[in-house]
Amino acid sequence: MKFIFYLILVLLLVPLQTTLLPHLSVWSIKPDLGLVAAALVGIFAGELEGLLVGLAIGWVLNLFSAGELWLSLLTNGGVGILAGFLGRQLTLVTSISLGVGLLLVSLASGLFAAVSFMHLDTSQMWWMVESIALPQACFDGAVGAGLYWLLSQWFHVTRLRTE
Amino acid sequence: MWMAHSRSPYSARRIALACFALLLVALFLLPNQIQGLLQYLDGPVGHVVGVPLEAIASIDAGIADRWERYVALQGVQEENQQLRKEIEWLRGQHSQLREFSAATERLTALLQFKEQALPTMVAAQVIGRDATNRYRAIILNKGESDGIKPDMGVVTPAGVVGRVVKTTGASSVVLLVTDPSNSIPGLIQRTRDEGIVEGTQQGMARLKYIPLLSTLRDGDRVVTSGLVGGFPRGLVIGTITNIDKQEGALFQSAELMPEVDVGRVEEVLVIQMSYGQSTKAGAEADVTGKPSP
Repeated sequence: MKFIFYLILVLLLVPLQTTLLPHLSVWSIKPDLGLVAAALVGIFAGELEGLLVGLAIGWVLNLFSAGELWLSLLTNGGVGILAGFLGRQLTLVTSISLGVGLLLVSLASGLFAAVSFMHLDTSQMWWMVESIALPQACFDGAVGAGLYWLLSQWFHVTRLRTE
Repeated sequence: MWMAHSRSPYSARRIALACFALLLVALFLLPNQIQGLLQYLDGPVGHVVGVPLEAIASIDAGIADRWERYVALQGVQEENQQLRKEIEWLRGQHSQLREFSAATERLTALLQFKEQALPTMVAAQVIGRDATNRYRAIILNKGESDGIKPDMGVVTPAGVVGRVVKTTGASSVVLLVTDPSNSIPGLIQRTRDEGIVEGTQQGMARLKYIPLLSTLRDGDRVVTSGLVGGFPRGLVIGTITNIDKQEGALFQSAELMPEVDVGRVEEVLVIQMSYGQSTKAGAEADVTGKPSP
């Protein structure tokens, strides 16, 4: 049952991210739903599932992107495992803490990506950070916090986490 | 609710950490092997993921079509009038060009130039945009099973769109001409000076490495040079809008307005074999609007 849910999640993320989200982008920036999904799976299901689902999402989304595979795998898998630890360590994960966490991870991934572009000079790299990585990190944080808040209304999160 | 009961036990944390550490080591020490391993799975997974992707893309296209036909009709009359004027002007140009074409054919026959075969093209539909914000890329509904391979050129009848950088069984990713990581060899049509066309961060393109003695000017057209890459010679890339000539520099560069509005492109043609490469296969295709299915 769980496997089917994750399969559907991964299958639906691709059209959502590549076809529908471009219509909802703000200043041509759209949130990374793969990152948000990996974080939520990590928080709700633990670090191992967060890691595996994050890796699957990273790999499948990378098939539909011109980006590097290693960055996509590391970012999504890393978020899944980090979110799992966060869910275990903090007594109560709030939408704010999750949002801030996602913002930081997304920003770190954006910085990595900017640095890995060999042909960029310092000004171009700064432009990329300022106009792509930073707004996207804010967007990811906000969407993650919003989705977590919605999910926590449906599920009794505190009880789940202590079980 | 089922997700709620799945907290990982302590050992799961260790397994997760070990897996992640292993992945890190593998990615940094054996990047090519890991990618090669995953490439075997790319084809079938691409086919499976392609099903919902194409379904949602067709729904999206249907809604967009309805919107454009029935809702967003403001300014259509003015546009219609302007287009009529443009058609009249283009008719004049057309008859002039036919004359030039006939003259070129006569001269070609006189000089006994080798006849060039037409390129083979595959028509494809745009079903999505890059999954990240870092690249300007589009996703096509044709992939490896349709004979599409990385580095093939992608065009519309108006001009160059980009080149294929990644393929799965049923889809492919095209890096647009406006992406800063893209490089396409270009040629100024009037002066015949060559350079490299790269995208800019502002979503335009730039022709770099133009010789200092070039007499280029605003409005000059830049076409593909056909020397390297998947493009035949002579496909329009864009028009020069601004020239940048700095003192002491070895080359000059120029900003280009791409001929194709890559943000709105819906159907494209993928060049499978360019001029010269195609012989028999070239006869099957038709550059003038009848690509092979």
